[in-house]
Formats: sequence, C-alpha cells, structure tokens
Amino acid sequence: MAGFLIKRLLQAIFVVFAITLVVSFAIRLTGDPALMMFQGGGSMTEGDLMRIRASLGTDQPFIMQYLNFLKGMVTLDFGRSFTGGTSVSMLIGNALPATLLLAFISMFVSIALSIPLGIKAATARGKGADQAIRILSLIGLSFPNFWLATMLVLLFAVTLGWLPPSGMSGWTSYVMPAVTMGIILTATNVRLVRTSMLETLQSQYVMVARAKGLSETTVLYKHALRNCAIPLITYFGLQFGGLLGGIVVVERVFNWPGMGTLAFDAVSARDYPVLQAVITVLSLMIVGVNLLVDIAYGLVDPRVRTE
Amino acid sequence: MQTIKRGLAKTFMVLALSGTAFHAGPALAAGKMTISSPQDPGSWDPIDTFLVQWAAVSTNIFDGLTYRGPDLKLVPGLAESWEELDEGKRIRFKLRQNVKFHDGEVFNAQAVKFTFERLLGEEGAKGPQRSNYTTIESVEVIDDYTVDMKLKTRDPVLLTKLAGYGAMIVPPKYIQEKGEDTFNLNPVGTGAFKFVSYAPKVDIKLAANPDYWGGAPKLAEVEYRFITEPATAVAELQAGRVDLVIPPTIPIGMIPVIEGDANLAIVSVPGPTVDALRFNTRDGITADPKVRKAIIMAVDRATIVQSILAGQASEIVSFQSALSFGYDADLKAVAYDPEGAKTLLAEAGVKPGATLQIDIRGNDSTMNEVAQVIASYLQMVGITATIKPYETNVLINDIIPQGKTGAMFQQKWGGWTFDYDNTAYAMYHSGEKWNPYDKDETLDKLLESQRPLTDRAQRDKILKEVGRYAADRALELPLYNSNAIYGISKRVKGFVAPSDNRLKLTDVTVD
Repeated sequence: MAGFLIKRLLQAIFVVFAITLVVSFAIRLTGDPALMMFQGGGSMTEGDLMRIRASLGTDQPFIMQYLNFLKGMVTLDFGRSFTGGTSVSMLIGNALPATLLLAFISMFVSIALSIPLGIKAATARGKGADQAIRILSLIGLSFPNFWLATMLVLLFAVTLGWLPPSGMSGWTSYVMPAVTMGIILTATNVRLVRTSMLETLQSQYVMVARAKGLSETTVLYKHALRNCAIPLITYFGLQFGGLLGGIVVVERVFNWPGMGTLAFDAVSARDYPVLQAVITVLSLMIVGVNLLVDIAYGLVDPRVRTE
Repeated sequence: MQTIKRGLAKTFMVLALSGTAFHAGPALAAGKMTISSPQDPGSWDPIDTFLVQWAAVSTNIFDGLTYRGPDLKLVPGLAESWEELDEGKRIRFKLRQNVKFHDGEVFNAQAVKFTFERLLGEEGAKGPQRSNYTTIESVEVIDDYTVDMKLKTRDPVLLTKLAGYGAMIVPPKYIQEKGEDTFNLNPVGTGAFKFVSYAPKVDIKLAANPDYWGGAPKLAEVEYRFITEPATAVAELQAGRVDLVIPPTIPIGMIPVIEGDANLAIVSVPGPTVDALRFNTRDGITADPKVRKAIIMAVDRATIVQSILAGQASEIVSFQSALSFGYDADLKAVAYDPEGAKTLLAEAGVKPGATLQIDIRGNDSTMNEVAQVIASYLQMVGITATIKPYETNVLINDIIPQGKTGAMFQQKWGGWTFDYDNTAYAMYHSGEKWNPYDKDETLDKLLESQRPLTDRAQRDKILKEVGRYAADRALELPLYNSNAIYGISKRVKGFVAPSDNRLKLTDVTVD
C-alpha cells in the first residue's frame, strides 16, 4: 500500500505542475495586463506601459515569471494581485473557506438525500415509489444549474422574501446555493445508489442475512450499503472535483465570495497571479481528493489493504 | 471505520454551525444606503486604477483640488480658488482652511505637494494614473495654504483632471507611517464619508464624516456590495436589500422588470461611452473612402437606437457624446440612403456579394444584436458581413493593436473627462496603440496643435475640425452613445444620477 501511495503521490505532483504550467503559459497569450489598465483612460506612452510591466513583473521572460511563481508556491506566497496589489494569499484565504463550505454542504445535502432515496427506489423496484424517484431524478438532471438558481431566487427571495438573494451572510444565505448544487448532484447520485444497491441485494450474503432473521434496516444499511459503498465513494470523490468546477456558475449567480468568483474576475482582468494561484489550489484539491478516494478504498475494503 | 464515521459527522456539524458565525443583518436601518457595484477595484489608492467603479465609491472618501458634479461644471473643491500665471504654465491654488483628513491630520499645502510627488514619483509609476498628469512638472509650497503647480506645457484639461482619480488628495503622515499596503486597503481622505471596512470581493462600508467641510452628509452609513451578475443585482434590488444598482450593470432587456415594480425606478442619463464600428482604412475594400461612406449610408442608426437600444442611447455623428468638449452640434449625420450606398459601391468597383468581417466584443449582448442588424443592412446593399465575436480583452489588447481585425471592428470608448481629445488622439493620431491602420498628417497636426492650448474657444474650434475631418474621411461608422442606467429604490431621495458614475452621496437620504 505504501509503494502504491508514493506512486500516486508523485503522479499527483506531476499533474499539478503540468496544469499550472499550461495555465500560466496560456493566459499570457491572451493580452497584456498593463495595456488593460489603460482601457478608457486616454493616451499613454510606451514608457508608461513599460513602467507598469516592470512593476508587475510581466516584462521578464515567461520562464522567469513561472519560476518565480513556483518559488512563491513553495513558500506559500503567491505574490500580489494585478488588480489593486492585494496579497493573493489573503484573497485565497478569504475565498477558499467560502467555496469549501458550500461544496461540503452541497455534498452533504446530496448524500443525505440520495442514499435513502436510492435505497428506497431499489427496494421498491418497479413500484410506484421507484417510478416517482426515477422521474424526479430525471427532472433534476435536466435542470441547468444557473436556471434552477435563478428560479429559486425569483421564488424564495424576490416573491416570498424568505431568503437573501445573494451574498454570504448568515445561515439563510447557504440554503439556496447548497440546494441548487445539492439537487443537481442528488439527481445523478440517486440513480447510482439505486443501481449499486440492486446489484448488492441480489447477492447471497444478503439472502443469508435475511435468512438469519436480521431486521430489514440492518440488512440494508449495515450489510448491503457497506458493500455497495466502494463505487459510491469513488463516484462521490470524483464528483467533488467536478463540484468545484461547477460551483463557478452557482457562485456567480449567488454572488458567493468564493474561488469561482475569484477565478472569474481574475480571468476577466488578466490577473495572472490570482488565476495561477486559484488553479493551483483547486487542482491540488482535486488531485488530493482523488488520493483520498484511493485511501478510502483501503479503509472500506480489506482486500485492497492487503494487496 | 467507526471513528471515521464519527469524525465525518463532527466535521459536518462544525461546517453546518460555522455558517451561523457569519452575521450581517439586513441593510434596512434608517440612514443606511446599500449600493450594488459590478466590480471590486481591489485597491482604494487613487493612483492605482482607471476603473469607474473605483470612482463610484471614492468620490465620497476623497476630494480633489477641484470638483465636478453631475452637472459637469467645474467648481472649487479643496482649492477655494486658482489663477493661471506665466501664460498658463503655472497655476496658483488658494487652499481651503480648517479641513482635516479622517484620521485627524491637517490638510494643507504640504499634503498637496505630497500627493502629486507621490503620483509622479516611484509609487505612481506602478499605476496607470500617472500618465494623465505628466504635464505637471513640480508642486511648490508658497505658504501653508497656497501652492503653485508648475507645468511643462499648458494643459487645458488639467483642471478637470484635478477633480478626479489620480489627483485625489491623500494624507502624507498616514501613508508614510502606515505604509502603502495599509493605505490601499484602508483609505483615508477628506471626503464626506469615512472608510469603515473592506472585504475583498464582498463589500466596502463607509460612515458619515460629520466634520465634512462641505456640510455633514445626511446618510449615516453607506455600503457598496460588489455584485457582477445583473440578474442577481436586480433580485437584490427587488428584495429591498439594495437601494441602488449602478452602471454598467442593468442590461436594456431588464429595464421592464424594474419599471414593473412599484417600489423601483430606472434613472438613465447619457454616459461617457460611445460605440463605433471602426474601419480598416489600410487594407481590403474599406481602404477606399467611398466604400466606407457607402457603408455608413447603408445603416439606419435611428432605427437601431429605437428598436434595439429601446431609446437608451443617442445617435452620434462623430466618435463622442453630446456632453463632450469639442462636440459639434452643426455636424450633420450621414443620412440613411441605401440607394446612394449602392451607387457609391458601384463607383468604387465593389461587386454585389463582396464580403467583410465585423469584429465585436462577444460579451456585449447589445452589440451582438446591433451587429446582426448592421449585417442585414449591409446585405441589402450587396455586402455580406460575417460577425466575429472576441473575448473583450483579446479584441482590445491583441486584435486591434496588432492590426489583426476584420474590415470593421467595434470600439467602445470615452473618458470621464468628457473631452474629445481623450478619444480623438487615441483613435486617430498615427502610431497610437489603438490606431493600427491610419496615418494622416493633417489629422496628426490638428491633434497636436490643440493639446497645449488653454484658450477654450480656440481648442473647441480645432476639436470640431478634427470631428469634421474624421467624418469626411469616414474613419468609422459612428453608432451611439449609451445611457448610464441606474436602478433605484423609491425610498432613496435626493439622488442625482451622474453621467460619469462618480456618485456623491452627501445630499442623499433613504426613508
């Protein structure tokens, strides 16, 4: 297991480097941040531009800029934002908890909904409850998240006035973003839980467990669920990565001060340091979650542990 | 496994509870105004930015030597009066006395000297504002409340420029003691409102400065929230949690939503921004002035303004708005004349079925529609236009400066100084970044000749000539001057919408 982990760790580090390299290089092809500062500001001379490039450090060759960035990454100092010169670490420090909190709550909402619903659908296979759950999940899947978010805002914030339309202020502001993300995740997860459960319920040990006279709850939750957990954990883990990406849209609609908002603004402003840092942190997390999924395999399934 | 489960449960509990740690009551206490602004400038230092969203906040924190309000008239600010000496190459300012910065520091001639030396020195070189003030050679303290500004050349727009952005007077002691980084995030000025707190990407809060030299403001608190998404800003306005949405946020298509709400209103005023489709005057069919003229004749701009922009814009004849200095009311628009256009095109040897490309900003939803209408107008005179949307920054920073555009390309321009020179010089003078195609000595000379003139009438005359000359050469297809659209709650009283987004909230109240 140790050798396997080390190999995965090295792979993960390589992936993060590759991502930051590509992103840092690509964003520099799309425009000069110094020039952008002058938009609408009238005339400037080449000298003005050069002074600004020098102060931003964009006058140096790409390889130097990238090395500086790597150096900063090791010392956890991501430099300063091109927009206003704020410390990038501070911006990330503010945004990351906001995004993680939202992501975790959304995952939690989704898992809390999809496991019981999926099991219900599996045990009631072909009956009314199963049909209803499957149709609902299909509807959930068909919602684009920005549309769902806007509709929720219209109903609960504008018409009913129960919840704040946007921002992160108090627990009420978490409800709509988390539900939006949660509903979309649940729609897929329910189907997964259902399928996985159906397979497991056909195994012999379930029959044995029932034959022993164990209660249906114990059979389902203690024996069957644990055995069908492996594909679920894999899927939830990978989903977390996708979730961090999908959160950009939801953060924008709900004006959530997280990584998505930060990334969006950084791209629009060609704010290289912020964008590089956001991408690095997010890719570290996605790669990290994948590693954790591997470890979780070992914990859940003794067969992997002894491999 | 058991421990992991418990650990997880605990984590979720902690996460769920930590949500309640963020407290912020709804913004409805009497005397508080909440404003939605589409962008966080990231720093509140006057020398760091050209963003209008900076000015929308900072006009309340800082003052300049001069002041220009919504009526666009220049009046005394921190300077009570000024006079031009040495044939306009020296301006003597008499300063207002008994003015204090928010931290208690006294405003005097030293503060003025410090402000401009900082702007033109090492610190200013890191930001874009410096380029606007390079005609200033030095600032000399005559006595505590008199300063002389020595100029390298006469600068007719300088007094206007002193009313905003880089010329805002900053506190010397505070900056020297606390440092630049602190100042960026904790601005101190002499303005009507004091800085309270700033959360990047979230909001900035201000409180009334009861000792303001211009009279204490009526509002106790002001909060600006940064909301990029128009639908979100409008939802906040409808929910009553925001009192004012400032431009550029509300798209024309959303105006009916606000007008349909009994508690809300739309206030719109002509803004500084004008849109034109400029021509590649160097290559292709648009190198021929006849073709360019024909294209202008082929497009019915009045219809575009009425039907697509719902009247929230005015037609332009030259690349400037009617508010701009140098605007020529006598310059007539080229009339819509598709038959005449066809004749001109035939004369120029352009055969029906000729093609051209129009480059536009992809995220500009209005221009996307307008460009399609223009393409169909051109179709009617036998030109097939393809529309190429670019990401805004790519178009502005790469495609235009490098001369890689199609035959026509969108340019959106306009400075807060409302001076035609600001646009004309950047667009027409040869060698300028945003003028990749055209070289015209007559135009260069005209543009250069007005720059040092302080005689307003003479400058006005030359700028009008520039406008006429550019129109004669058909350098662009002038389109429209968009309105600045504000969405406002009817609880807000006394708000005068400024054209340049520099809101001053001294006299505003909220019921």
